[in-house]
Amino acid sequence: MRRKSRKKIPVTKVLIYTFLILLAVIYIAPLVWMFSVSVKTNAEVFASPFKLPEIIQWENFSVAWSIGKLNIAIVNSFIVCAVTLLCSILFGTMAAFAIGRMRWKLSGTIMTYFLLGMMIPVHCILIPLFVIFAKVSLNNSLLGLILPYITFSLPMTIFIMVGFFKNMPSELFESACMDGCSIYGCFFRIGLPLAKTGLFVTGLMTFVNNWNELLLAMVFISDVSKKTLPVTLTYFVGPYSTNYVQMFAAIVIAVIPTIIVYSIFSNQIVEGLTAGAVKG
Amino acid sequence: MEKLFRDKKAICLFIAPGGILFTIVLLVPIAYAFYISMCDWNALTPPKFIGFENYLKIFTNDSIMKTAIKNSLFFTTFSLVTQQVLGLFLAVILSNLVKGKNLFKNIYYLPCVLSSAALGLLFSFLLNPKMGLNQVLAIFGVEGPLWLMDVKGFIPLPMWVIGTVATWQYVGTTMMLYMAAIAGIPSSLYEASYIDGANKWQSFKNITVPLIKPMAKTTISLTCIGSLKFFDLIYNMTQGGPNHKTEVLATQLYNEGFSYFKYGYASAISVVLLCMCLLVTFVINKTIKVEDYEM
Amino acid sequence: MGMKKVLAVLLSTVMMTGLLSGCGSKTEEAAAPTADATEEGAATEEVAAAEGDVEITWMFWDDLEATQDIMSQQYAETIKRFNEADNGYHVNVITTNLEEYDTKLNALIAAGQAPDVWICNPGPNMTQYVEADVVMDLTDVLNSDSAWKDSFTGGIFERLTYDGKVMGVPTNFAAACVFYNTEIFEKTGVAVPKTWDEFMDVCQKIQDAGYAPLTISAGTPWCLSMVAGYLCDREGGPDNLKGVADGSVKWTDASYVNAATKLLDLSKYFQPTYLGDSNDQATANFYNGDAAMLIQGSWAISQINGNAPEMQDKCGVFQFPGIEGGSDPNRWIVKTDNLLVSKNTKNVDACIALLKEFTGETSQKATAEIAGKMPIIDVEVDYSKAPKQLSYVQESMKTLTGTFGFYNESLDSVEAGDKFDNTMVSIVMGEITPEDGMAEVQKFYDENVYNK
Repeated sequence: MRRKSRKKIPVTKVLIYTFLILLAVIYIAPLVWMFSVSVKTNAEVFASPFKLPEIIQWENFSVAWSIGKLNIAIVNSFIVCAVTLLCSILFGTMAAFAIGRMRWKLSGTIMTYFLLGMMIPVHCILIPLFVIFAKVSLNNSLLGLILPYITFSLPMTIFIMVGFFKNMPSELFESACMDGCSIYGCFFRIGLPLAKTGLFVTGLMTFVNNWNELLLAMVFISDVSKKTLPVTLTYFVGPYSTNYVQMFAAIVIAVIPTIIVYSIFSNQIVEGLTAGAVKG
Repeated sequence: MEKLFRDKKAICLFIAPGGILFTIVLLVPIAYAFYISMCDWNALTPPKFIGFENYLKIFTNDSIMKTAIKNSLFFTTFSLVTQQVLGLFLAVILSNLVKGKNLFKNIYYLPCVLSSAALGLLFSFLLNPKMGLNQVLAIFGVEGPLWLMDVKGFIPLPMWVIGTVATWQYVGTTMMLYMAAIAGIPSSLYEASYIDGANKWQSFKNITVPLIKPMAKTTISLTCIGSLKFFDLIYNMTQGGPNHKTEVLATQLYNEGFSYFKYGYASAISVVLLCMCLLVTFVINKTIKVEDYEM
Repeated sequence: MGMKKVLAVLLSTVMMTGLLSGCGSKTEEAAAPTADATEEGAATEEVAAAEGDVEITWMFWDDLEATQDIMSQQYAETIKRFNEADNGYHVNVITTNLEEYDTKLNALIAAGQAPDVWICNPGPNMTQYVEADVVMDLTDVLNSDSAWKDSFTGGIFERLTYDGKVMGVPTNFAAACVFYNTEIFEKTGVAVPKTWDEFMDVCQKIQDAGYAPLTISAGTPWCLSMVAGYLCDREGGPDNLKGVADGSVKWTDASYVNAATKLLDLSKYFQPTYLGDSNDQATANFYNGDAAMLIQGSWAISQINGNAPEMQDKCGVFQFPGIEGGSDPNRWIVKTDNLLVSKNTKNVDACIALLKEFTGETSQKATAEIAGKMPIIDVEVDYSKAPKQLSYVQESMKTLTGTFGFYNESLDSVEAGDKFDNTMVSIVMGEITPEDGMAEVQKFYDENVYNK
């Protein structure tokens, strides 16, 4: 042993790491398999799902990219997600601040009202919403997607953020008041920065949910130039057969941005967590 | 201070953007869905008012609905137990980990950021008798079961499988939220308890558990509601089949509404689903008492 | 994290998008021939509407550019031709995938934005639109243009006619038949079976020789129910379908129970994984040479040849065997794809012109010669150009005496069709006996159909 064992490695530590590594393998293996499918041919996938491909079919990606028009789709998805993210975080934290921090009679009722949104399956409002949007020509436009996306992201944002605002130490706000800070100042200068941890979590969830949303995007958007990424992934499913390899290639492409955004934000969450731990 | 936080104008201003959006995009369509649930409607011809007939059928004369309700309740219980236990376990372990904390956390949370539809498809491939897991088992001479097709038993095997996959995908959220809660506990509390001679288990029981109770309430509510209206994975793995044995409320709603065009009946199911979610939230709020600790 | 950081994140993501699109276009140039074919398809959309063109919309259940389905590619060609022609019309295509097609179509119709022309399955699916009174009656248009009307194959409008009114126009049809691997048949020393007993015998011999006799998908229920449909018809003939519709025949009658029992008998010859296999996997079992026979619609031809070109030379076709003492063995399951015109279209002429383009000789020849589907007009097809299997199908259809639809598309409603499909799956799974299974279907009919 190179490492001079001045202290014994505890058995529990070994067990814990073994467990964590095994679990990590369970988490990673399916994703690796998904990647391997995306560089095979369809016939190979069915004949020998676990073998490595004979020739790595990198062109699956370029073909998927060009026929799925993924360049347009990625831009559309990005616009929709970015706008939704900013708006839902802003509106959500504002409402959460009012509910969690401010004192008024109806705050509980309003909270329940917002939480109702989490309990509604999107399918049950699909047709009525489409009819309403069609009347005001909001279908077939990105705005028509953004509005429901914000709405569906709000409950989660509010639900998590209310807790954060409630648990904030009131001394901070009191001293700010003494300094003549307005209620808006309290929100933007004290509430928001302190709620950072929550913002990263909800922001990530909002981004990811909307990046992956299919049903509304499929039904609301008809124009090819306005389709979002998940919709284009379905291009590869044909009426009588499915082009699996290209679909998985497209899925891999679609997943890359989420993973990048995720890796940026996930480390921020840790920073936020450490900062959050100092409070009080 | 008090006055500042009672400012009616500011409250209105804070609530307004979200509130207005909510009313237009959710409340109006829901109200409409309530009305539709009392109708016989196929979206193409005008709705025909039939009163509570749809609801009557749901509870008295629809064997698939019985399966769906049973499966939904099972799925919710299963998710709740596995995600709470595993999520809290991982959060506690990872929070105390010195090396690799971020790496493991990021790996376990990864499936949460991927599309359920894509993952559902991926797992229907992996669990296919010819394609994935069973091929691996065959190497060890084990003949794997029909993971997604075996319908024997009160709770058929596919429901356990889907439940496990759902836990695989979503336990990261629970873990992450618990980690946030644990990180929010001042380390001075632990230090004090160690000075008082407490061991790790005691400090977990006496400090961690009470202080993460608010978060427990959050994660339990989230898991329950999420599981009750769960759709993506099931739809992409089994489509509710074989022969409706893995149907849950949301997939049944989808079938009735979008395969059979019985929007009235589908709306009635969604109202039932909504009521179940409300009931669960109510029960959670009544049973889990959260005391406020000033930290 | 301040605003700066948010900006940085946004920027980095934008840049990454730029990077990706950059490398996308580069690889595109170097892409394999498959990409060329699709780029050609992509040209469809670039034909812009000329000024003053009357614009109409057409809704389809597959993406015209990304599709690998040869039939969909032919639809794309037709649309391209129609838009390029100097006819004063331009058609805009709305596409979805099959899964969301009906949802989206119904939402559009409910919102009063129905497409001018859309594609539709025959049977209860189409009935629903006809009954909702959103489909244009084409009888007069067809009658006023006898040349067009007479060009269609006889009897093709049968399933598209409601109360004597023709409500849709077909674009192609597919027939369900048995594909077999001639190599395996030779090795095993069996001949093409004509009757059910011979068929079972062939299956047994192939199984003894170590191959899976038959590949089928119970994971995609309609695949299994197609065989069930054939058995029901071979047992009781056309009276069976008519009978259950008006209540004169019961699902629990001997012919239905016998059909279900035969299906259960046959299930011992299915490939071991049939319960979990999807339609695509079942077809792959056949073209990979693992199974000797595949019962599928003729659309499978393009899938087979596309994935395993060598299969074309060793893939034979025969019609579903007859049952001794049963009904007419020369009836075929066929399925048409149909175009419906919206009742509220403002541009009837443009819609009719589009229908004519689809049913015209150029499109129909390509349907047969390239896509391997059956044309719906009487047109000279050069079978040397077409996939070999297509001529076999045409050949065996010469003795055809009648056609019927997929069972699940011939019943009272989509739900009734699903009930039939699912019951058949339950029966082969051994979850329920044929008698009890048919009794369940009967119960469904008693409650939901006769009682309506």
